[in-house]
Amino acid sequence: MIDEERTLTRQELLRYGAAGAVVVAVGAVPRPSFAGNRVLAANPKTGGTLRFARSIAPTTLDPANTIIAGDIYTLDKVFEPLYITSPSGKLTPWLATGYTLSKDRKTYTFALRPGVKFSDGKPLGAADVVFSLDRSRTNKKGPLSFLDFAIKSTKASGEKVVVQVSQPWAPLLSDVSAFSNAIIPANYGGAAEKAFFADPIGTGPFTVSGFKPNAPSLTLKRNPSYWQKGKPYLDAVTFLFVDDDNQRLLQLRGGQADAIDLVPPSQVASLKANSDVHALLSSSWQVDLLVLNEKDPHFADRNVRRAIMQAIDTKALAHAATFGTAKPGGSFFPPSLQYYSAKTKVLPHSLAAAKADLGKSKYPNGFSTELLIDGGVQKWRTFAQIIQNQLKAIGITVKIRALDHAAFEEAFQKFDYKMFIDYAINDISDPDEMASFELDYKNGGSSSYWSSYNSPAVTKLVRQAQSEFNPAKRAKLYARIQNAVAQDAPFVPLDYPPYINAYSTKVNGFAVNPGGAYRLENVWLA
Amino acid sequence: MLRYARRRLLSAAVVVLAVTVATFLMLHVEPGDPARAVLGEHATPGEVQALRHQWGLDASLGSQFRRYVGDLVRGDLGQSYLAQTSTTSLIRARISVTASLVGMATLFSILITLPLAALAAVRQDRLPDHAVRALSVAGLGLPAFWFGIVLIEIFALRLHLFPVGGWGDSFGAHIQGLILPALTASFAIAPILVRSLRVGMIEVLDADFVATLRAKGLGEFRVLGHVSRNAVLPALSLLGINIAYLIGSTVVIERVFGLAGLGSLLLSSISERDFPVVQALTLILATGVVLINLLTDLLAARLDPRIRLG
Repeated sequence: MIDEERTLTRQELLRYGAAGAVVVAVGAVPRPSFAGNRVLAANPKTGGTLRFARSIAPTTLDPANTIIAGDIYTLDKVFEPLYITSPSGKLTPWLATGYTLSKDRKTYTFALRPGVKFSDGKPLGAADVVFSLDRSRTNKKGPLSFLDFAIKSTKASGEKVVVQVSQPWAPLLSDVSAFSNAIIPANYGGAAEKAFFADPIGTGPFTVSGFKPNAPSLTLKRNPSYWQKGKPYLDAVTFLFVDDDNQRLLQLRGGQADAIDLVPPSQVASLKANSDVHALLSSSWQVDLLVLNEKDPHFADRNVRRAIMQAIDTKALAHAATFGTAKPGGSFFPPSLQYYSAKTKVLPHSLAAAKADLGKSKYPNGFSTELLIDGGVQKWRTFAQIIQNQLKAIGITVKIRALDHAAFEEAFQKFDYKMFIDYAINDISDPDEMASFELDYKNGGSSSYWSSYNSPAVTKLVRQAQSEFNPAKRAKLYARIQNAVAQDAPFVPLDYPPYINAYSTKVNGFAVNPGGAYRLENVWLA
Repeated sequence: MLRYARRRLLSAAVVVLAVTVATFLMLHVEPGDPARAVLGEHATPGEVQALRHQWGLDASLGSQFRRYVGDLVRGDLGQSYLAQTSTTSLIRARISVTASLVGMATLFSILITLPLAALAAVRQDRLPDHAVRALSVAGLGLPAFWFGIVLIEIFALRLHLFPVGGWGDSFGAHIQGLILPALTASFAIAPILVRSLRVGMIEVLDADFVATLRAKGLGEFRVLGHVSRNAVLPALSLLGINIAYLIGSTVVIERVFGLAGLGSLLLSSISERDFPVVQALTLILATGVVLINLLTDLLAARLDPRIRLG
């Protein structure tokens, strides 16, 4: 049981140049229902099969062992977590109806939604939740198990689930909403682990049987025991796996597919001109970053970093490279993320100011450097060329170093780079993931997104925000963090790309959350 | 003949072996770590190292190679890192797509080549000949993926005669779905075949025995029959080589037409550094190419004693 959320894996996103982010779910408490991008007709029709052409075929349905988009956006139809993120980015009770928090803020007690059944008809119980959370958080190979690090123990208490945390931990609810913490039956319902994920049993709106990795297509059937009465509307969903962007578009235009994912930004205008299809741009928890390596003496100089930030015209960049589909970068938090501050004091684009800051640095006359990119992604190549041009204007000569995807990842993670472009993603609704990963040099896990930026003041604020439960106070902390980062410029936020899906006009109720996840129980075919 | 076959078989085996070694080395020397790809960016160096150890990637290149060859000898192509399933099962699910595509494209190539070459040869230096030659030059210049997209626009989107892409779920749907991609693939090699067969036919048409046949009063159509049998040999070798090329071009064509065959699996496996899958696929594709060349050689030797005795 997992949920829905999440996103393309960083790799996939990069590879396809799409946007992506993280998760979460939908729905409101009593009767979750989201209106999609278009107004829902009064009476949804039941039945039919949605044919959805997607870029990546799933290789596993095990929520605790993947970070790949093809897997996540399949298994989240079968498994659900305690909370999900709605399309508007709100954390929403899902298999849980709510929780109580102890005075010391170290004990959460979750109440489970009554009447929820697994697809084999057995009721959801506290033991299932305990089993699933323990399995995920203790899985060393789990790409998202780090989200659960604050959880010290879990136990069933009657119909409730008690979760102890090792320290007051504000992001906890958001953590349990990760697809990796989706609920499966305790002990795999008696099956062997491998056999279970081939014929999984979940609480989600759809079921899969006889799963084969990397197959050309996969059909999900309606779960008759689904807990939301009358849903899903569809009898089945068939995912067709088509890796070529253009072929997916052609299948949509030719009526072979009802919906497609990862629409290239260059195609959005032509889709909008077509009255039979609809392109949906959904804001994501993704930011494309130009990262500056402070192990290089040039970028250790704050004035150099500020000069670069001001020399790059993110407006022109976003417009040229994303055909106007992405918003230009500002704060290192994307606008769809909780506690994003629109008032962040971002250094505006100004060649004069850039030259002035460079003049104050140890390299007043400029220097030569190198920009590392994943050369397989058109968008990065365009970005790199524009940045090369814009930095030339202040005397910085940039050589572009394009590697293939796997070599690129290895290079920057070994600090073998001077500047690189990558997207950063938050996987859940809480911004601590992004803040810690990008700013907490020691504990964040990536030496501040491989930039080696190490500001004790900022780190202190990041850690303070983790245990601040008052939303207004937390917002203030994150506003200060965003301001500090905008001034220190360890990386340049280039743009905020949206998820772009498209579907035929007969598809209704389709909505995507900022994690790129789309729940399909509300979708119906006219 | 047997001695010739043995010699050819031996050299084919050497080629396959060389491909195996070269693929292994290139994959392992090239930067890029499959463990990182699977674990994601949040993985600690320790976790990456543990997975590398589990897969045996931290062993020396020599011992990794010995293990790979040892498994291979036992018929074990290994486990996919990404799909966590046997490479053989991944390939089995897709090999029929690629094989059918190559088969149908070969058939189309022959069907296009024979009449066009004959027409051009018989009407040498006249309008039909010029037209065929111009067409083949144009054909050579067209990138396969572009030509494929044009075919989709016309025959799938406008005329609705064929699906836009995909493999379908019935035998009839498979065949229907293969026609446009096979046509695209065959257009990439037909021009070369047409030109070669045309030259071969023209040479044979000038031979003494043709004059004799004509003198005996044989109709032009039957003369052509005798001519093609003699002219087909160089074209046959060329066809063999080009089927090899065709197998390579399926990587692009499968992508353009959304066919989940070996080519698309190869592309995605390379970018994720799924070593066992890439190694297995290169081995299979190389074996396919070598086998087809071998068959062509043997067939040619059978048709022409000079080859096997020479």
